[in-house]
Amino acid sequence: MTPALETRGLSIAFGGLKAVDAVSFSATRNKITTVIGPNGAGKTTLFNLISGGLRPASGTVMLDGRNVTGFGPAALQGSGLARSFQITNLFFELTVRENLGLAAQTLDPVINAFFPVGRRGRAADKVDELIERFGFAAKAHELVAALSHGEQRRLEIAMCLASEPQILMLDEPTQGMSHGDTEETARLIRSLSTEVTVLLIEHDIGLVMSLSDHVVVMHQGRKLSEGAPAEVRSDPAVQAAYFGHG
Amino acid sequence: MLDRLDISLRANHVLFVILFTAAFVFGVMASMTGDRFYLRLATEALILSGLALSIDILLGFTGLLSLGQALFFGVGAYVSALVLREVPSFWLALGAASGASLVAGVVGGLIANRVRGVYFALITFGMAQIVAKIIYNTRSLGASDGLIGIPVVEIPLGFVTLSAGNPLEFFLVVLGGITLIYAGMSYVLSSPFGRVMIALKANEKRVPYLGYSTWAPRMVAYVLAAVIAGTVGGLYPMLRGFVSPELMFFSASGDALIMVIIGGSGTLVGAIWGAILLVAFKSVVGSWTEHHLIIVGLMFMAAVLFMKRGLIGLVKPMIERRLVRIEAAREMRKEGKAP
Ligand SMILES: Nc1ncnc2c1ncn2[C@@H]1O[C@H](COP(=O)(O)OP(=O)(O)OP(=O)(O)O)[C@@H](O)[C@H]1O
Ligand SMILES: [Mg+2]
Repeated sequence: MTPALETRGLSIAFGGLKAVDAVSFSATRNKITTVIGPNGAGKTTLFNLISGGLRPASGTVMLDGRNVTGFGPAALQGSGLARSFQITNLFFELTVRENLGLAAQTLDPVINAFFPVGRRGRAADKVDELIERFGFAAKAHELVAALSHGEQRRLEIAMCLASEPQILMLDEPTQGMSHGDTEETARLIRSLSTEVTVLLIEHDIGLVMSLSDHVVVMHQGRKLSEGAPAEVRSDPAVQAAYFGHG
Repeated sequence: MLDRLDISLRANHVLFVILFTAAFVFGVMASMTGDRFYLRLATEALILSGLALSIDILLGFTGLLSLGQALFFGVGAYVSALVLREVPSFWLALGAASGASLVAGVVGGLIANRVRGVYFALITFGMAQIVAKIIYNTRSLGASDGLIGIPVVEIPLGFVTLSAGNPLEFFLVVLGGITLIYAGMSYVLSSPFGRVMIALKANEKRVPYLGYSTWAPRMVAYVLAAVIAGTVGGLYPMLRGFVSPELMFFSASGDALIMVIIGGSGTLVGAIWGAILLVAFKSVVGSWTEHHLIIVGLMFMAAVLFMKRGLIGLVKPMIERRLVRIEAAREMRKEGKAP
């Protein structure tokens, strides 16, 4: 079966620094693939290369066996890919509902773009559903800037789901969340994997072990190891990278 | 409940209705007292308010600072003047002004939208200065003297024909035009497309990841603003009977920007209030002292420092709160009635 997402020899350098160096891996449909690695390993840069934020110097990105290398973020979104950001990246001066509306309105036919924003239609239904599912009912009309950090992180995920993507890329979704919120987010991500292919970056090793179907370990821009969570955990090279001098 | 953005648009409408009513009453009263001067001054303020409104579309919604919006006003004014000198037809002149500013807007947009931020501001500034200088040096366009001798036009509206020479009639025509522009832009902003424009200002970097081009809506906003500026520019020679290169100078763009900031950006209606205020202020204070520009400068600084949302910002939150309450009550009633 063709993987939902596949990279081959993906590389980019910033000046002399090889931030992502010939990384090849694939993500199986409706599974959770997690990218781990120490700070500065190149995980976010890998996400940027896949999601169109950066153009790779070499290598290819395939979605469903289709070459999408060099596509911009908007085109990739149109191909069913959605991503969240490590540093919260929302429309802070708009409300929760307006943020979700912006993310969802691509569900409606293009012609709707020129009629007043509706209360009905697929986009509006999607927004209502997400507000319900993420527990934003009481805060739907709050400005995002007024939300707590944990709520903003949750909205990041909800924004990605609004367009009903096939591939969901989450860059440290639980970063800075309280313990309770982290647990809840983990449950959510697990429940999502029945509907979408998840590509995750996560630092919390406990979470990585319990959530992931497949783990890719990065270190200094390169793929160090990959496999099932338990396999990766016992890999001496991985242990050296994490706990040794690196 | 309605989105905050919809509430905000409705609050603008309230402020627009107040403005429209006040303008209408003013116009009728001024005309009854036989005044010409203030009616024509008010007409000029309304024409300039269209220019200010076009700046607000860019600055207040799309997040683009244009320092050369008078370019399109000037293009509209010159094209209208040229047409009127050949054929004194209101609709032909206005159509030509809109068409020319559309073309100018597309060309200008293709150039300016290659860059962002300060560079965008500088390019818009530069384009206006260059075109103004060219016109200033073009003999066939009247060079520094501009074009004079523009005839008074009749304005056939289908059911009635008004005259640009009649101060009240032309004032009402311009008021109607500004109302149409305001309504049209409000409509655009209430659409999903308008939401994307607003998103560009709020956080442009996030927009492409939601599946939208950032270039296309920026371009559309720019061209819309250009056409609005050019269309009201087309009205200018009908009022004044002449056009001059000063219309495109930075002072014109800068004044319009001040109108937006003083009135309150991101509200559309603030630009109109700001225009009326600035024109009135300049005329009144200008008759006392030659140093009125100093006072305008101080007002501008005060607005920037102490009223981030302009004069409109002082009353709009109140109106919005009331609209929210009305809306909530309406929804309660609806739910109450439901089985
Ligand atoms: N735009 C850029 N320009 C220059 N260097 C960059 C840029 N983006 C990332 N880098 C560098 O590339 C390397 C990889 O960064 P990246 O953000 O991908 O790491 P990461 O694995 O996501 O780290 P973290 O766990 O801290 O988020 C780092 O050394 C970083 O400083
Ligand atoms: Mg990172």
